[in-house]
Amino acid sequence: MSDFLLQTAFNASYAASYMALIAVGLVLIFGVMGVINFAHGELYMAGAYAVVFFYAGLGLPFIVAVAIGLVFVGCLGMLMELALFRPLRTNPLGGLIASIGFLLMLQTVAVLGFGLRNQNVPPVSQGRITVGGAFLTYERLYVILATVGLLLALWLFLRKSKFGWALRACAQDREAASLQGISINQTARYAMFIGAGLAGVAGALTAPLVAPTPYMGHTVIVTAFIIIIVGGIGSLEGAVLAAIIYAFVHTFVTTFFDGVIANIVGLLLMLAVLVVKPQGLFGVRERA
Amino acid sequence: MLLEVRDLHVHYQKVAALKGISLQVPSGGIVTIIGANGAGKSTTLRAISGLVRPSKGEIHFDGQRIDNLPPEQIVGRGIAHVPEGRRVFPDLSVEENLRIGAFLRADKDGIESDLEDVFRRFPRLKERRTQRARTLSGGEQQMVAIGRALMSGPKLLLLDEPSMGLSPVVVQEIARIVADIADTGVPVILVEGNRHRRLGGQGRRPAHQ
Repeated sequence: MSDFLLQTAFNASYAASYMALIAVGLVLIFGVMGVINFAHGELYMAGAYAVVFFYAGLGLPFIVAVAIGLVFVGCLGMLMELALFRPLRTNPLGGLIASIGFLLMLQTVAVLGFGLRNQNVPPVSQGRITVGGAFLTYERLYVILATVGLLLALWLFLRKSKFGWALRACAQDREAASLQGISINQTARYAMFIGAGLAGVAGALTAPLVAPTPYMGHTVIVTAFIIIIVGGIGSLEGAVLAAIIYAFVHTFVTTFFDGVIANIVGLLLMLAVLVVKPQGLFGVRERA
Repeated sequence: MLLEVRDLHVHYQKVAALKGISLQVPSGGIVTIIGANGAGKSTTLRAISGLVRPSKGEIHFDGQRIDNLPPEQIVGRGIAHVPEGRRVFPDLSVEENLRIGAFLRADKDGIESDLEDVFRRFPRLKERRTQRARTLSGGEQQMVAIGRALMSGPKLLLLDEPSMGLSPVVVQEIARIVADIADTGVPVILVEGNRHRRLGGQGRRPAHQ
Protein backbone atom coordinates (compact mmCIF):
# COMPACT_ATOMS: atom_id res chain seq x y z
CA MET A 1 0.00 0.00 0.00
CA SER A 2 2.79 2.44 0.85
CA ASP A 3 4.34 1.73 -2.57
CA PHE A 4 1.04 2.59 -4.12
CA LEU A 5 0.84 5.86 -2.17
CA LEU A 6 4.39 6.75 -3.12
CA GLN A 7 3.67 5.99 -6.76
CA THR A 8 0.65 8.28 -6.68
CA ALA A 9 2.73 10.98 -4.99
CA PHE A 10 5.31 10.71 -7.79
CA ASN A 11 2.56 11.08 -10.37
CA ALA A 12 1.11 14.06 -8.53
CA SER A 13 4.52 15.75 -8.30
CA TYR A 14 4.86 15.48 -12.04
CA ALA A 15 1.39 16.92 -12.65
CA ALA A 16 2.00 19.69 -10.10
CA SER A 17 5.22 20.64 -11.86
CA TYR A 18 3.98 21.32 -15.33
CA MET A 19 0.75 22.84 -14.07
CA ALA A 20 2.78 25.21 -11.88
CA LEU A 21 4.77 26.35 -14.91
CA ILE A 22 1.58 27.06 -16.83
CA ALA A 23 -0.22 28.76 -13.94
CA VAL A 24 2.73 30.94 -12.94
CA GLY A 25 3.00 32.25 -16.50
CA LEU A 26 -0.71 32.99 -16.55
CA VAL A 27 -0.50 34.84 -13.24
CA LEU A 28 2.52 36.84 -14.37
CA ILE A 29 0.76 37.98 -17.54
CA PHE A 30 -2.38 38.87 -15.63
CA GLY A 31 -0.43 40.66 -12.92
CA VAL A 32 1.67 42.86 -15.14
CA MET A 33 -0.80 43.54 -17.94
CA GLY A 34 -4.21 42.89 -16.42
CA VAL A 35 -4.99 40.58 -19.32
CA ILE A 36 -6.62 37.19 -18.89
CA ASN A 37 -4.76 35.24 -21.54
CA PHE A 38 -7.16 32.63 -22.84
CA ALA A 39 -4.58 31.58 -25.43
CA HIS A 40 -2.27 30.33 -22.66
CA GLY A 41 -3.25 26.69 -23.26
CA GLU A 42 -2.41 27.11 -26.94
CA LEU A 43 1.00 28.53 -26.04
CA TYR A 44 1.51 25.30 -24.10
CA MET A 45 0.41 23.41 -27.22
CA ALA A 46 2.82 25.43 -29.38
CA GLY A 47 5.68 24.43 -27.07
CA ALA A 48 4.74 20.77 -27.46
CA TYR A 49 4.69 21.13 -31.24
CA ALA A 50 8.14 22.69 -31.16
CA VAL A 51 9.32 19.36 -29.75
CA VAL A 52 7.22 17.46 -32.29
CA PHE A 53 8.90 19.38 -35.09
CA PHE A 54 12.48 19.78 -33.90
CA TYR A 55 12.95 16.62 -31.83
CA ALA A 56 10.60 14.04 -33.33
CA GLY A 57 10.77 15.49 -36.84
CA LEU A 58 14.25 16.88 -37.39
CA GLY A 59 15.97 14.73 -34.81
CA LEU A 60 17.61 17.51 -32.82
CA PRO A 61 18.53 16.67 -29.22
CA PHE A 62 15.54 16.90 -26.86
CA ILE A 63 17.09 19.61 -24.71
CA VAL A 64 17.71 21.76 -27.79
CA ALA A 65 14.11 21.30 -28.92
CA VAL A 66 12.89 22.32 -25.46
CA ALA A 67 15.07 25.45 -25.55
CA ILE A 68 13.71 26.30 -28.99
CA GLY A 69 10.20 25.77 -27.62
CA LEU A 70 10.88 28.23 -24.79
CA VAL A 71 12.29 30.93 -27.04
CA PHE A 72 9.79 30.38 -29.85
CA VAL A 73 6.75 30.52 -27.60
CA GLY A 74 8.26 33.41 -25.64
CA CYS A 75 8.56 35.33 -28.90
CA LEU A 76 4.97 34.41 -29.77
CA GLY A 77 4.06 35.99 -26.44
CA MET A 78 5.95 39.19 -27.26
CA LEU A 79 4.16 39.28 -30.60
CA MET A 80 0.81 39.00 -28.81
CA GLU A 81 1.78 41.86 -26.54
CA LEU A 82 2.82 44.06 -29.42
CA ALA A 83 0.00 43.29 -31.84
CA LEU A 84 -2.94 42.59 -29.52
CA PHE A 85 -2.56 43.61 -25.90
CA ARG A 86 -0.78 46.94 -26.36
CA PRO A 87 -3.30 48.55 -28.73
CA LEU A 88 -6.14 47.25 -26.54
CA ARG A 89 -4.65 48.23 -23.20
CA THR A 90 -7.31 50.78 -22.35
CA ASN A 91 -10.10 48.34 -23.19
CA PRO A 92 -10.81 46.17 -20.13
CA LEU A 93 -12.07 43.18 -22.15
CA GLY A 94 -10.06 43.77 -25.32
CA GLY A 95 -7.05 41.64 -24.41
CA LEU A 96 -9.21 38.73 -23.29
CA ILE A 97 -11.28 38.70 -26.49
CA ALA A 98 -8.21 39.14 -28.71
CA SER A 99 -6.54 36.23 -26.90
CA ILE A 100 -9.55 34.01 -27.71
CA GLY A 101 -9.14 34.93 -31.36
CA PHE A 102 -5.43 34.19 -31.21
CA LEU A 103 -6.15 30.82 -29.57
CA LEU A 104 -8.28 29.82 -32.56
CA MET A 105 -5.57 30.95 -34.96
CA LEU A 106 -2.89 28.92 -33.18
CA GLN A 107 -5.10 25.83 -33.18
CA THR A 108 -5.81 26.24 -36.88
CA VAL A 109 -2.15 26.67 -37.72
CA ALA A 110 -1.36 23.50 -35.78
CA VAL A 111 -4.11 21.58 -37.61
CA LEU A 112 -2.95 22.85 -41.01
CA GLY A 113 0.69 22.13 -40.29
CA PHE A 114 0.49 18.82 -38.48
CA GLY A 115 -3.02 17.44 -38.93
CA LEU A 116 -5.59 16.49 -36.33
CA ARG A 117 -4.05 13.25 -35.16
CA ASN A 118 -2.12 12.73 -31.96
CA GLN A 119 1.60 13.14 -32.51
CA ASN A 120 3.96 10.40 -31.50
CA VAL A 121 7.05 11.73 -29.83
CA PRO A 122 9.71 9.06 -29.31
CA PRO A 123 10.73 8.55 -25.68
CA VAL A 124 13.64 10.64 -24.46
CA SER A 125 14.80 8.07 -21.99
CA GLN A 126 13.69 4.62 -20.85
CA GLY A 127 15.34 5.05 -17.49
CA ARG A 128 13.57 5.14 -14.18
CA ILE A 129 14.25 5.49 -10.50
CA THR A 130 12.81 2.71 -8.40
CA VAL A 131 11.94 3.23 -4.75
CA GLY A 132 10.57 0.04 -3.26
CA GLY A 133 7.72 -0.89 -5.55
CA ALA A 134 7.21 2.64 -6.86
CA PHE A 135 9.05 4.16 -9.76
CA LEU A 136 9.61 7.55 -11.35
CA THR A 137 10.60 7.64 -15.01
CA TYR A 138 13.45 9.92 -15.99
CA GLU A 139 11.11 11.71 -18.39
CA ARG A 140 8.88 12.76 -15.53
CA LEU A 141 11.84 13.47 -13.30
CA TYR A 142 13.17 15.89 -15.94
CA VAL A 143 9.88 17.79 -15.86
CA ILE A 144 10.02 18.07 -12.07
CA LEU A 145 13.68 19.13 -12.01
CA ALA A 146 13.26 21.63 -14.85
CA THR A 147 10.25 23.15 -13.11
CA VAL A 148 12.08 23.56 -9.82
CA GLY A 149 15.04 25.09 -11.65
CA LEU A 150 12.97 27.48 -13.75
CA LEU A 151 10.77 28.64 -10.89
CA LEU A 152 13.85 29.21 -8.73
CA ALA A 153 15.44 31.22 -11.53
CA LEU A 154 12.24 33.23 -11.93
CA TRP A 155 12.08 33.88 -8.20
CA LEU A 156 15.68 35.11 -8.17
CA PHE A 157 15.05 37.28 -11.22
CA LEU A 158 12.00 38.87 -9.61
CA ARG A 159 13.76 39.48 -6.27
CA LYS A 160 17.27 40.39 -7.27
CA SER A 161 17.29 42.02 -10.68
CA LYS A 162 16.25 45.52 -11.55
CA PHE A 163 13.83 44.35 -14.22
CA GLY A 164 12.40 41.85 -11.77
CA TRP A 165 11.59 44.74 -9.46
CA ALA A 166 10.07 46.60 -12.38
CA LEU A 167 7.81 43.62 -13.11
CA ARG A 168 6.67 43.40 -9.51
CA ALA A 169 6.12 47.13 -9.29
CA CYS A 170 4.07 47.11 -12.50
CA ALA A 171 1.99 44.23 -11.19
CA GLN A 172 1.18 46.21 -8.05
CA ASP A 173 0.55 49.65 -9.52
CA ARG A 174 1.19 50.33 -13.19
CA GLU A 175 0.75 54.08 -13.00
CA ALA A 176 2.98 54.50 -9.97
CA ALA A 177 5.56 52.30 -11.70
CA SER A 178 5.63 54.58 -14.73
CA LEU A 179 6.23 57.51 -12.36
CA GLN A 180 9.45 55.79 -11.24
CA GLY A 181 10.73 55.70 -14.80
CA ILE A 182 9.63 52.14 -15.58
CA SER A 183 8.46 51.68 -19.15
CA ILE A 184 5.14 49.84 -19.15
CA ASN A 185 5.64 48.66 -22.73
CA GLN A 186 9.03 47.18 -22.04
CA THR A 187 7.89 45.53 -18.82
CA ALA A 188 4.84 44.06 -20.54
CA ARG A 189 7.11 42.66 -23.23
CA TYR A 190 9.33 40.94 -20.66
CA ALA A 191 6.32 39.60 -18.79
CA MET A 192 4.84 38.15 -21.97
CA PHE A 193 8.12 36.53 -22.96
CA ILE A 194 8.52 34.91 -19.57
CA GLY A 195 4.86 33.96 -19.11
CA ALA A 196 4.47 32.53 -22.60
CA GLY A 197 7.93 30.94 -22.47
CA LEU A 198 7.04 29.06 -19.29
CA ALA A 199 3.88 27.70 -20.92
CA GLY A 200 5.98 26.72 -23.95
CA VAL A 201 8.50 24.90 -21.79
CA ALA A 202 5.71 23.04 -20.02
CA GLY A 203 4.37 21.89 -23.38
CA ALA A 204 7.82 21.02 -24.70
CA LEU A 205 8.83 19.02 -21.63
CA THR A 206 5.62 17.03 -21.50
CA ALA A 207 5.36 16.42 -25.26
CA PRO A 208 6.92 12.92 -25.11
CA LEU A 209 4.42 11.98 -22.39
CA VAL A 210 1.11 13.29 -23.69
CA ALA A 211 0.95 12.67 -27.49
CA PRO A 212 0.26 16.29 -28.53
CA THR A 213 -2.85 17.30 -30.44
CA PRO A 214 -3.86 20.78 -31.68
CA TYR A 215 -6.56 20.89 -28.97
CA MET A 216 -4.45 19.86 -25.97
CA GLY A 217 -4.60 23.42 -24.63
CA HIS A 218 -8.26 23.13 -23.66
CA THR A 219 -7.70 20.70 -20.84
CA VAL A 220 -4.88 22.63 -19.21
CA ILE A 221 -6.41 26.09 -19.44
CA VAL A 222 -9.42 25.17 -17.30
CA THR A 223 -7.16 23.61 -14.69
CA ALA A 224 -4.84 26.62 -14.83
CA PHE A 225 -7.74 28.98 -14.14
CA ILE A 226 -8.86 26.86 -11.19
CA ILE A 227 -5.30 26.97 -9.85
CA ILE A 228 -4.87 30.73 -10.11
CA ILE A 229 -8.26 31.33 -8.52
CA VAL A 230 -7.41 29.00 -5.64
CA GLY A 231 -3.95 30.54 -5.27
CA GLY A 232 -5.19 34.09 -5.37
CA ILE A 233 -5.17 35.92 -8.67
CA GLY A 234 -1.94 37.84 -9.00
CA SER A 235 0.08 35.77 -6.55
CA LEU A 236 2.97 33.73 -7.98
CA GLU A 237 3.58 31.89 -4.71
CA GLY A 238 -0.14 31.19 -4.51
CA ALA A 239 -0.12 29.74 -8.02
CA VAL A 240 2.71 27.34 -7.15
CA LEU A 241 1.10 26.22 -3.90
CA ALA A 242 -2.32 25.84 -5.54
CA ALA A 243 -0.80 23.83 -8.40
CA ILE A 244 0.69 21.44 -5.85
CA ILE A 245 -2.54 21.15 -3.86
CA TYR A 246 -4.68 20.72 -6.96
CA ALA A 247 -2.39 18.17 -8.57
CA PHE A 248 -2.20 16.06 -5.42
CA VAL A 249 -5.94 16.15 -4.81
CA HIS A 250 -6.69 15.44 -8.46
CA THR A 251 -4.18 12.64 -8.82
CA PHE A 252 -5.16 10.91 -5.60
CA VAL A 253 -8.88 11.13 -6.34
CA THR A 254 -8.26 9.87 -9.87
CA THR A 255 -6.26 6.95 -8.54
CA PHE A 256 -8.68 5.96 -5.80
CA PHE A 257 -11.96 6.81 -7.55
CA ASP A 258 -11.83 8.05 -11.14
CA GLY A 259 -10.99 11.02 -13.33
CA VAL A 260 -14.51 12.42 -13.60
CA ILE A 261 -14.90 12.54 -9.85
CA ALA A 262 -11.44 14.13 -9.65
CA ASN A 263 -12.56 16.93 -11.94
CA ILE A 264 -15.64 17.51 -9.82
CA VAL A 265 -13.54 17.52 -6.65
CA GLY A 266 -11.17 20.03 -8.27
CA LEU A 267 -14.03 22.40 -9.02
CA LEU A 268 -15.47 21.90 -5.52
CA LEU A 269 -12.05 22.80 -4.14
CA MET A 270 -12.18 26.06 -6.06
CA LEU A 271 -15.73 26.76 -4.85
CA ALA A 272 -14.73 26.04 -1.27
CA VAL A 273 -11.82 28.47 -1.48
CA LEU A 274 -14.04 31.10 -3.05
CA VAL A 275 -16.58 30.73 -0.24
CA VAL A 276 -14.09 30.70 2.63
CA LYS A 277 -11.40 33.00 1.25
CA PRO A 278 -12.68 34.80 -1.85
CA GLN A 279 -9.36 36.46 -2.54
CA GLY A 280 -7.65 33.04 -2.81
CA LEU A 281 -5.05 31.46 -0.56
CA PHE A 282 -2.38 34.11 -1.15
CA GLY A 283 -4.51 36.84 -2.63
CA VAL A 284 -5.03 40.24 -1.09
CA ARG A 285 -8.41 41.88 -0.93
CA GLU A 286 -8.79 44.62 -3.50
CA ARG A 287 -8.46 48.09 -2.10
CA ALA A 288 -11.68 50.03 -2.25
CA MET B 1 11.59 79.75 -14.59
CA LEU B 2 12.15 76.07 -13.91
CA LEU B 3 8.66 75.05 -15.01
CA GLU B 4 6.24 76.92 -17.20
CA VAL B 5 2.72 75.74 -17.92
CA ARG B 6 0.88 77.70 -20.61
CA ASP B 7 -2.82 77.57 -21.32
CA LEU B 8 -3.11 73.89 -20.35
CA HIS B 9 -6.29 72.05 -21.35
CA VAL B 10 -7.01 68.43 -20.41
CA HIS B 11 -10.03 66.40 -21.43
CA TYR B 12 -11.10 63.04 -20.06
CA GLN B 13 -12.93 61.65 -23.08
CA LYS B 14 -15.14 64.66 -23.79
CA VAL B 15 -15.29 66.13 -20.31
CA ALA B 16 -12.97 69.07 -19.78
CA ALA B 17 -10.96 68.74 -16.56
CA LEU B 18 -8.73 71.75 -17.17
CA LYS B 19 -9.60 74.74 -19.30
CA GLY B 20 -6.54 76.87 -19.73
CA ILE B 21 -4.41 76.91 -16.60
CA SER B 22 -1.04 78.67 -16.65
CA LEU B 23 1.56 78.62 -13.93
CA GLN B 24 5.21 79.36 -13.39
CA VAL B 25 7.48 77.71 -10.88
CA PRO B 26 10.80 79.31 -9.99
CA SER B 27 13.83 77.18 -9.20
CA GLY B 28 13.35 77.41 -5.46
CA GLY B 29 10.69 77.36 -2.76
CA ILE B 30 7.21 75.92 -2.52
CA VAL B 31 4.34 76.70 -4.87
CA THR B 32 0.99 75.71 -3.44
CA ILE B 33 -2.11 75.03 -5.51
CA ILE B 34 -5.28 75.20 -3.48
CA GLY B 35 -8.76 74.44 -4.70
CA ALA B 36 -11.96 72.51 -4.15
CA ASN B 37 -12.46 68.89 -5.14
CA GLY B 38 -12.74 68.59 -8.90
CA ALA B 39 -11.05 71.93 -9.56
CA GLY B 40 -8.34 70.17 -11.53
CA LYS B 41 -5.43 70.29 -9.09
CA SER B 42 -4.47 66.65 -9.46
CA THR B 43 -5.04 66.81 -13.20
CA THR B 44 -2.54 69.66 -13.42
CA LEU B 45 0.12 67.54 -11.70
CA ARG B 46 -0.80 64.48 -13.77
CA ALA B 47 -0.35 66.48 -16.96
CA ILE B 48 3.03 67.77 -15.81
CA SER B 49 4.31 64.26 -15.04
CA GLY B 50 2.87 62.84 -18.24
CA LEU B 51 0.17 60.59 -16.81
CA VAL B 52 -2.44 62.42 -18.87
CA ARG B 53 -1.88 63.98 -22.27
CA PRO B 54 -2.96 67.63 -22.56
CA SER B 55 -5.43 68.39 -25.34
CA LYS B 56 -4.04 71.90 -25.69
CA GLY B 57 -1.29 74.02 -24.18
CA GLU B 58 2.39 73.61 -23.48
CA ILE B 59 4.58 72.52 -20.58
CA HIS B 60 8.21 73.57 -20.52
CA PHE B 61 10.67 72.23 -17.99
CA ASP B 62 14.26 73.35 -17.71
CA GLY B 63 13.95 75.08 -21.09
CA GLN B 64 12.56 72.03 -22.89
CA ARG B 65 9.07 71.11 -23.95
CA ILE B 66 7.89 67.99 -22.12
CA ASP B 67 4.15 67.74 -22.72
CA ASN B 68 4.60 65.13 -25.45
CA LEU B 69 6.82 62.79 -23.40
CA PRO B 70 5.67 59.60 -21.61
CA PRO B 71 5.90 59.62 -17.79
CA GLU B 72 8.96 57.36 -17.62
CA GLN B 73 10.94 59.93 -19.62
CA ILE B 74 9.68 62.90 -17.65
CA VAL B 75 11.03 61.35 -14.42
CA GLY B 76 14.33 61.08 -16.21
CA ARG B 77 14.26 64.81 -16.89
CA GLY B 78 13.99 65.47 -13.16
CA ILE B 79 10.33 65.73 -12.19
CA ALA B 80 9.27 63.41 -9.37
CA HIS B 81 5.56 63.03 -8.72
CA VAL B 82 4.16 61.83 -5.40
CA PRO B 83 0.66 60.91 -6.53
CA GLU B 84 -2.59 61.33 -4.69
CA GLY B 85 -3.22 58.47 -2.32
CA ARG B 86 0.55 57.81 -1.96
CA ARG B 87 0.52 54.78 -4.29
CA VAL B 88 3.39 52.94 -2.65
CA PHE B 89 4.01 49.39 -3.92
CA PRO B 90 2.21 47.44 -1.19
CA ASP B 91 4.07 44.15 -1.56
CA LEU B 92 7.55 45.59 -1.92
CA SER B 93 9.55 46.27 1.21
CA VAL B 94 10.18 49.82 2.35
CA GLU B 95 13.72 49.67 1.05
CA GLU B 96 12.66 48.18 -2.29
CA ASN B 97 10.07 50.94 -2.65
CA LEU B 98 12.77 53.53 -2.07
CA ARG B 99 15.30 51.90 -4.36
CA ILE B 100 12.82 51.59 -7.19
CA GLY B 101 12.56 55.37 -7.10
CA ALA B 102 16.12 55.36 -8.41
CA PHE B 103 15.19 53.00 -11.25
CA LEU B 104 16.66 55.18 -13.99
CA ARG B 105 19.87 56.01 -12.16
CA ALA B 106 23.12 54.18 -12.73
CA ASP B 107 25.32 56.00 -10.17
CA LYS B 108 25.56 53.37 -7.44
CA ASP B 109 27.34 55.57 -4.93
CA GLY B 110 24.87 58.39 -5.43
CA ILE B 111 21.95 56.02 -4.89
CA GLU B 112 23.44 54.70 -1.64
CA SER B 113 24.11 58.17 -0.29
CA ASP B 114 20.61 59.33 -1.26
CA LEU B 115 19.17 56.30 0.48
CA GLU B 116 21.05 57.26 3.63
CA ASP B 117 19.76 60.79 3.16
CA VAL B 118 16.16 59.55 2.99
CA PHE B 119 16.70 57.42 6.10
CA ARG B 120 18.10 60.50 7.85
CA ARG B 121 14.99 62.48 6.96
CA PHE B 122 12.68 59.59 7.89
CA PRO B 123 14.34 57.59 10.68
CA ARG B 124 11.17 55.55 11.07
CA LEU B 125 11.60 54.17 7.56
CA LYS B 126 15.03 52.89 8.45
CA GLU B 127 13.58 50.94 11.35
CA ARG B 128 11.02 49.44 9.02
CA ARG B 129 13.16 48.99 5.94
CA THR B 130 12.42 45.27 5.52
CA GLN B 131 8.69 45.56 6.20
CA ARG B 132 6.20 45.38 3.37
CA ALA B 133 4.80 48.81 2.59
CA ARG B 134 1.23 47.61 3.07
CA THR B 135 1.88 47.08 6.77
CA LEU B 136 2.78 50.73 7.35
CA SER B 137 0.53 53.47 8.71
CA GLY B 138 -0.78 56.15 6.36
CA GLY B 139 1.82 58.66 7.52
CA GLU B 140 4.65 56.18 7.09
CA GLN B 141 3.39 55.31 3.61
CA GLN B 142 3.41 59.01 2.77
CA MET B 143 7.03 59.14 3.94
CA VAL B 144 7.83 56.17 1.68
CA ALA B 145 6.16 57.93 -1.26
CA ILE B 146 8.10 61.13 -0.65
CA GLY B 147 11.33 59.24 -0.06
CA ARG B 148 10.80 57.22 -3.23
CA ALA B 149 10.38 60.45 -5.19
CA LEU B 150 13.56 61.89 -3.66
CA MET B 151 15.47 58.77 -4.71
CA SER B 152 15.13 59.79 -8.34
CA GLY B 153 17.29 62.83 -7.59
CA PRO B 154 14.62 65.28 -8.72
CA LYS B 155 14.96 68.91 -9.77
CA LEU B 156 11.28 69.43 -9.01
CA LEU B 157 8.97 67.59 -6.64
CA LEU B 158 5.20 67.35 -7.20
CA LEU B 159 3.20 66.55 -4.06
CA ASP B 160 -0.47 65.72 -4.40
CA GLU B 161 -2.40 66.14 -1.13
CA PRO B 162 0.24 64.63 1.12
CA SER B 163 -1.81 65.39 4.23
CA MET B 164 -4.89 63.51 3.06
CA GLY B 165 -6.21 61.21 5.75
CA LEU B 166 -3.41 61.85 8.21
CA SER B 167 -3.61 62.98 11.83
CA PRO B 168 -2.66 66.59 12.66
CA VAL B 169 0.56 65.51 14.32
CA VAL B 170 1.67 63.58 11.24
CA VAL B 171 0.57 66.43 8.99
CA GLN B 172 2.88 68.74 10.93
CA GLU B 173 5.75 66.29 10.61
CA ILE B 174 5.22 66.02 6.85
CA ALA B 175 4.98 69.82 6.59
CA ARG B 176 8.32 70.17 8.34
CA ILE B 177 9.90 67.66 5.96
CA VAL B 178 8.46 69.33 2.87
CA ALA B 179 9.77 72.71 4.01
CA ASP B 180 13.12 71.05 4.65
CA ILE B 181 13.20 69.56 1.14
CA ALA B 182 12.50 72.97 -0.37
CA ASP B 183 15.24 74.47 1.81
CA THR B 184 17.77 71.96 0.54
CA GLY B 185 17.22 73.22 -2.98
CA VAL B 186 14.47 71.05 -4.49
CA PRO B 187 11.50 73.21 -5.41
CA VAL B 188 8.08 71.78 -4.60
CA ILE B 189 4.65 72.11 -6.16
CA LEU B 190 2.18 71.27 -3.45
CA VAL B 191 -1.49 70.54 -4.08
CA GLU B 192 -3.83 70.84 -1.10
CA GLY B 193 -7.58 70.73 -0.88
CA ASN B 194 -8.12 71.44 2.78
CA ARG B 195 -7.43 75.09 3.51
CA HIS B 196 -7.22 74.59 7.27
CA ARG B 197 -4.78 71.75 7.38
CA ARG B 198 -2.63 72.47 4.38
CA LEU B 199 1.11 72.20 4.32
CA GLY B 200 3.60 74.88 3.47
CA GLY B 201 1.35 77.80 4.33
CA GLN B 202 4.23 80.19 3.92
CA GLY B 203 4.82 79.30 0.27
CA ARG B 204 3.99 81.16 -2.91
CA ARG B 205 0.53 80.82 -4.38
CA PRO B 206 -0.16 81.52 -8.02
CA ALA B 207 -3.61 82.71 -9.01
CA HIS B 208 -5.74 79.73 -9.89
CA GLN B 209 -8.61 80.16 -12.32
